[in-house]
Amino acid sequence: MSARNVEGGTPVRAAPRRELTLGAALPLLAFLALAALFPFLPLGSRAEFLLQIAFFTLVAGIMALSWDILARSGQVSLAHAAFYGLGAYGYALLLKAGLPWALAMPVAALLAGGASLILGAVTMRLSGMYFAIATLAFTEVVRTIIQNLPESVAGGATGLLVPALLGGNSRAQYALAWGLLAFTVLVSLAVRLTRLHFAFAAIRQGEETARVLGVSIVRFKLLAFFISSSLAALAGVLYAGKTFFINPLETFSLANSIAPLTTSIFGGLYTTLGPVLGAGVLRVAEELLHNSVKNGYLVVYGLVLMLSILWLPRGLMGLRRNKKHGGDL
Amino acid sequence: MTAATTTGGALSPTPQGVEVLRAEGLSKRFGGLKAVQDVSFTHHQGEILAVIGPNGAGKTTLLNLLSGVYRPSAGRLHLGGRDVTDLPMEARCHAGLGRAFQIVRPFPEMTVHENVTVGALFGKPGQRLPKARERAWALLERTGLAAHADKAAHELTLLQDKRLEVARAVATQPSVLLLDEVMAGLRPGEAQEAVALVRGVRDSGVSVLFIEHIMPVVRDLADRVVVMDQGQVLAQGTYREVTADPRVVSAYLGTEEGLHA
Amino acid sequence: MDLFAQTLVNGLLQSGLYALVASGLALAVGVVGIVNFAHGEYLMIGAFLAWAGSALLGVDPLLSLPVIAVAVYGVGALTYRVSIRHVLLAPELNQMLLTFGLGILLQNLALMLLGGNTRTVSTPYQASSLQLGELSVGGPKALAFGLAAALLGALYFTLYRTTLGRQMRAVAQNRRGAQLIGIDVDRVYLIAFSVSCALAAVAGVLVSVLLFASPTVGLVFALKAFAIIVMAGLGNLTGVLWASALLGVSEALVQTYVPGGGGWSDAVFFLMIFGTLVLRSYRGAR
Ligand SMILES: Nc1ncnc2c1ncn2[C@@H]1O[C@H](COP(=O)(O)OP(=O)(O)OP(=O)(O)O)[C@@H](O)[C@H]1O
Ligand SMILES: [Mg+2]
Repeated sequence: MSARNVEGGTPVRAAPRRELTLGAALPLLAFLALAALFPFLPLGSRAEFLLQIAFFTLVAGIMALSWDILARSGQVSLAHAAFYGLGAYGYALLLKAGLPWALAMPVAALLAGGASLILGAVTMRLSGMYFAIATLAFTEVVRTIIQNLPESVAGGATGLLVPALLGGNSRAQYALAWGLLAFTVLVSLAVRLTRLHFAFAAIRQGEETARVLGVSIVRFKLLAFFISSSLAALAGVLYAGKTFFINPLETFSLANSIAPLTTSIFGGLYTTLGPVLGAGVLRVAEELLHNSVKNGYLVVYGLVLMLSILWLPRGLMGLRRNKKHGGDL
Repeated sequence: MTAATTTGGALSPTPQGVEVLRAEGLSKRFGGLKAVQDVSFTHHQGEILAVIGPNGAGKTTLLNLLSGVYRPSAGRLHLGGRDVTDLPMEARCHAGLGRAFQIVRPFPEMTVHENVTVGALFGKPGQRLPKARERAWALLERTGLAAHADKAAHELTLLQDKRLEVARAVATQPSVLLLDEVMAGLRPGEAQEAVALVRGVRDSGVSVLFIEHIMPVVRDLADRVVVMDQGQVLAQGTYREVTADPRVVSAYLGTEEGLHA
Repeated sequence: MDLFAQTLVNGLLQSGLYALVASGLALAVGVVGIVNFAHGEYLMIGAFLAWAGSALLGVDPLLSLPVIAVAVYGVGALTYRVSIRHVLLAPELNQMLLTFGLGILLQNLALMLLGGNTRTVSTPYQASSLQLGELSVGGPKALAFGLAAALLGALYFTLYRTTLGRQMRAVAQNRRGAQLIGIDVDRVYLIAFSVSCALAAVAGVLVSVLLFASPTVGLVFALKAFAIIVMAGLGNLTGVLWASALLGVSEALVQTYVPGGGGWSDAVFFLMIFGTLVLRSYRGAR
């Protein structure tokens, strides 16, 4: 799989699916179990700091995995920041309107899901770079709108204060984030093991052929959008509740679209384990590098993206020696 | 009052049988090129209908019009007495049109079995996954692909790819199966197998419309033949009738394959 | 009426710069078949080089322009050799993501090395203006337009009147065929991609004079260039000219006539992207 292979060019692709075994699910369960145990480790004096890093690793995992679910249907989106931001803002505004947080969270997710249907409908027949550019434009439009709403409504360019999630208890916050990641993993597995997998994969690998075989692209593309963006919005809620201050520039930053995309590709596209694993590796790398590349940690994402495309088209998942179920779950 | 309403929903029996598919004046232009021009024919229940014609005659384009890949510039299409001209591809599949492509289009990252499962699962509304998997298995056995079920589709040979195309189309449970040169490139023995397969499909109650250049296959298989040239229907009738037609002979003469190649 | 005329002129002047950026992008798309998401970053490099030349060496950007063009041509050639070349036959998704990664890398490298501040270049002609009857035109703007027009003229001349240009168009139309008649396709790709980068860099020099240099300055121009080539039809170089004019003038109109228009004029191109894409996809539906 050399990059010198000018004639071939290995596509970023998943291995064909063979049997689903518990063995394939094991690394995933192990990862979740490890993540669940993390707060109980003797973290010492830096516990708060480490928990925060771990918290945002979980958020990154939710973002990457939810992005991947959309990508499985052939829709490589640059709008994930929009749904992340809509989740964050929706949650903040719903709290302001007096909703309890436990209600505001799912409602914000559903609202973002609803907004995604608009984008999904508009981009229904677009593909490749047209789709990417349209989703990029969508993010900017949403940000511009939020930023230009009256300041009394959404805080304008300055931003909004958000009450701390769960009274600011970082262990409880971590547990919530873990729960939401586990939920995202379950959704991803459900997509993988039901008819949705067949619909998404068929649309991705040959849209017209899929249609001729009876796959309704309208229904399944929109469904992919709805699932993916609702989950991304949950990540946005976690972000808003953890940082308790959100502004349009950071919340809707292109970085929030780039990170999940890169993470999924690096970890292994169209899988459940890959994006989660990728989030773990890249977030930890980011923290380790934080001091040396303060401003531009995205450099790492750019580099990782390029190198993955050139040398690791199946991401980390492609490194596994047991090709029997390579890229399986 | 359009042609659609004159026939209503009724399936009118004709001397040849019950009508299942009827094209009325189908046309398709690509810029200045009239790829299909005013094509009309009737396809009967349980009939095997061949569409032949020189390269570039517009056969594949016609199939694209039938399966809904292209919208016709003019003309209507009726399936089982229902006007399906305005239905998009997926709805035409649900209505009963199944199609195998001339240039094979497997889903490359799926296994062979998964490829067929897609057809079995979405070809008709309301299918359940376990059942669809089973039917896909049965079809793989019927088409001789069972041994390759777990291979990635991109690992298949062209021959196997063609079988996969057919299996996937049949999996959608069509009332009319559209086959585009699925026997091209087969050796005689293999072609005989394919002929038997298509007969079997017909005997299970499916009407078959196939495009083919191999004349012996057309002779053996087709109940009726539609001959196309330069986008138009040149002649239709039994194999004997059309091959005796001087216009058909002259249309084929100038072409490299010739009528009896 | 005067206001209207003034607005039109401003819009048209702006469109020269847009056309310069977009024609580079269109060249890469049309000839090499690569949608370069990092196009704006070459503009950014050009802008920073111009700033560096002016601030550190005291060289006027217009004088350093040819040197910068050649330098960034080299950067483009290097980019082609180490990355683009290896995904030419890969799926479109790989190509897109590769250039996207490249853009992120370059932009954040600049951010890391130079910080997020904007750097302005001061020139003696900065505040000058031309008087054309009732209309007044900013000197740098007019200069930029003139330069852009001259370069575009040269580009089109090259494409339609020289052997290299003919080869490029042949490769654009049919890679295989071009190969068969003995054209060195790899070389043509290299040149087209590098010229595309150099064009972006020249635009960057102009941007440094008109606006400033900053790590993210390229992004917005690249997005507008995308809007333009999408409107023009991918790889259609002639369409780029009128699409650029349309964008420039629409932005100027919004700036002048919409209350609080300054903030919204940057949204014009998003509407254009959306409008064009939706229109195109539904017209070509099925
Ligand atoms: N999408 C298209 N755009 C423009 N022209 C097309 C298109 N599809 C087909 N054509 C043209 O329409 C004509 C009919 O093509 P078609 O593929 O239907 O022929 P065919 O009878 O299937 O030929 P063959 O036996 O070689 O498969 C040809 O001249 C072809 O070039
Ligand atoms: Mg054909």
